[in-house]
Amino acid sequence: MNPTAGEASSLLIWTMMISIGLITFLIRFAPIALLARLELPQWLKLALTYVPPAVMSAIITPALFFVDGAPTIDPDTPRIAAAVFAALIAWRTRSVLWTVVLGMIALWGLQALAR
Amino acid sequence: MPKISNARNELINGIRAITPMLMGIAPFGMVCGAAAVSTGLTPWQAFTMSWVIFAGSSQIAAMQLFASGAPLLIIISTAAVINLRFLMYSASIAPHFRRLNGRWHVLLAYLVTDQAYAQSIAHYLENKENEDLHWYFLGIAGALWVCWQISTVIGILLGSLTPQSWSLDFIMPLTFIAMVVPLLSTRAMLLAAVAGGSASVLLTLPLKLNLIAAALIGIAAGLLAEKLGQAK
Repeated sequence: MNPTAGEASSLLIWTMMISIGLITFLIRFAPIALLARLELPQWLKLALTYVPPAVMSAIITPALFFVDGAPTIDPDTPRIAAAVFAALIAWRTRSVLWTVVLGMIALWGLQALAR
Repeated sequence: MPKISNARNELINGIRAITPMLMGIAPFGMVCGAAAVSTGLTPWQAFTMSWVIFAGSSQIAAMQLFASGAPLLIIISTAAVINLRFLMYSASIAPHFRRLNGRWHVLLAYLVTDQAYAQSIAHYLENKENEDLHWYFLGIAGALWVCWQISTVIGILLGSLTPQSWSLDFIMPLTFIAMVVPLLSTRAMLLAAVAGGSASVLLTLPLKLNLIAAALIGIAAGLLAEKLGQAK
């Protein structure tokens, strides 16, 4: 990579980080600064309830079907199976630690079997 | 009981309450650190990101989009959508911070996270006349912040060392699964998750707009399911 391209990408990274950081801080700060004077409209409160499941599953699923961002013809079976198993563990234990540990063990086991 | 000692007790109670959860947060921080350096950020940039943004899900999403060459505006707006939930948390907890000054507000706002909010509100519901909720929140959120920064640094250092065949990138979806699944106790929440997940795989949109579109579809599905459920 030539130096100009490196500098451009470094500028891009800093701009990205600082913008996201500022926006995120304002999202966190605005309601606290405006105290209880700010009453969110009911529809927005309702919509925000669905942000965590909608966004998080939208982030998770491509990671199971795509390898390195490119769509694969065969879905990554060990990953999908391990993810389903981990979801069951998460449901039973409600523990991030157990879900991560047992999910990783399941993935390694399934990958070894698939070989 | 004198006021000071109650504040201190609450701070310690907060730290105690968060300690078991740190075992789940630490791997997530390490993944964030490792993901950032493997995307091509310098260690210094990766560390700066972890305290400038301090919101793991949006950091991961930003890294994934950055790696796939998405335009800056798309990366920023996706991260903003992911972090919009903090609006709800802050609005919900704001009345408890009403009598504090501006410095406290800046500090507490900066530290708002899923776990800090959820744990503090649960604590408040258990003992309602508590006037030192901000100390409890600070104990939780402060310990979480320290744990997040340390584990990010470990992730940055280990990121280049662990071989790809260990599939450690899988920890990221696992962490999200662990956070999402307990939320799916109603049909509307389940539908929001299913719709968001399928839309993000099935949609092929230019400029990596899939994630935002899928999130909006998921939210709409949840709202619709709730409307229909009430109509019955």
